[in-house]
Amino acid sequence: MSTTSLEAILEGRRSQPQELIEVLQDVQELFGYIPQESMISVSRELGVPLIEVYRVASFYKAFSLEPRGKHVITVCLGTACHVRGAARLVDQVTGQLEVEPGGTTSDGLFTVECVNCLGACALGPVLVLDGVYHDHMSPRKLSRLIEAVRSAEEEVAVRAEA
Amino acid sequence: MLQQVTLSIDGAQVEAVRGTSVLDVAVEYGICIPHLCHIPSLSDFGGCRLCVVELIENSRSKVTTSCTLLVQDDMVVRTNTEKIRKLRRNIAELLVAQAPNSRAIQDIAVRCGVSQVRYPFRNESCVLCGRCVRLCTELWSARAIGFVGRGKDRHVDFPFGVRPDVCKQCQACVQHCPMTITPCDGPMEPGEERLCGKCEAQLLIAESAPDSCIWCELGVGFGCARHAS
Ligand code: SF4
Ligand code: SF4
Ligand code: FES
Ligand code: FES
Repeated sequence: MSTTSLEAILEGRRSQPQELIEVLQDVQELFGYIPQESMISVSRELGVPLIEVYRVASFYKAFSLEPRGKHVITVCLGTACHVRGAARLVDQVTGQLEVEPGGTTSDGLFTVECVNCLGACALGPVLVLDGVYHDHMSPRKLSRLIEAVRSAEEEVAVRAEA
Repeated sequence: MLQQVTLSIDGAQVEAVRGTSVLDVAVEYGICIPHLCHIPSLSDFGGCRLCVVELIENSRSKVTTSCTLLVQDDMVVRTNTEKIRKLRRNIAELLVAQAPNSRAIQDIAVRCGVSQVRYPFRNESCVLCGRCVRLCTELWSARAIGFVGRGKDRHVDFPFGVRPDVCKQCQACVQHCPMTITPCDGPMEPGEERLCGKCEAQLLIAESAPDSCIWCELGVGFGCARHAS
């Protein structure tokens, strides 16, 4: 579902505390993270105490309380991927983008995350870029992937200027 | 109408009102089950695990927390078996390693027979017992504080870390926090943490009567349910 505003997300769900998680999921999708003001509005409109909204939002890994980059790279560090060299992927991505796992690049373009198994162990090492799985990754492939995203972004920027 | 049930705790037949917990009933009858997160009349969530007991069913025994175990007719509970004492001692040992700077927790360790701490001291300022959170939520309906985060990052906080208007500044959270009662000799510096165990008089009775209430120091300042009732 693609939603356009917080208003639209809350529509038809007001005063329904049981909708909390779904509303937060939509907010996450809308903004790429869950802003404080949204938590305050959600608390008020659903009738859920603010601390409860904050507790839930801070509990699940699917929710981010910080703004996230335009592109999200998720590196799997599960056992299968680990033995096939996932750590080298992490080194590559943190080195190339100059950002620690969990962080976002200063230009707001990339967020790097690590997870403990993506459920695709046979394809390891695996990483996900913006929802797309990339299997049998190597530092080189990863480096090219990041460059590809970057140059696509630059092209967009140039075209916007022209 | 209140319904009475009869159950057996440590071999004694006791009567209790349906809906009460085994912990409350035991303490009322003077049977000692050390506990930390339980506060009489608030909900129990089995957070600290100190109050474990053995529940005997069909001649099998199951270890469970007594604060979340509701009394039932013909229930058979053992609170002081060798197994329970060992488990309890270990939990108390972990607690005191986690937070040696609390007299309440030091006293609990004494009461549970801890004589040495095999785990590294951490000197944390919170043991996540949730007493503060439940007081704030259930007694005052303020809901100013709650658990935030997950796993090793879990902690008690205000929303976004800022005291909200709904906080009435009643201080109930602070008064009932085991961490606000410092050891008799004052707070221990990092690196100097130790098992206090100085209350020798206490130590003696703690060992001689592990199973029945000795009106130990636990209730003083901190509030074992025995003293609260
Ligand atoms: S702040 Fe105190 S009362 Fe609250 S959870 Fe931590 S130790 Fe328990
Ligand atoms: S006061 Fe001490 S001895 Fe009595 S029930 Fe509480 S912990 Fe046990
Ligand atoms: S370990 Fe990486 S997908 Fe399972
Ligand atoms: S008192 Fe029962 S688990 Fe804490």
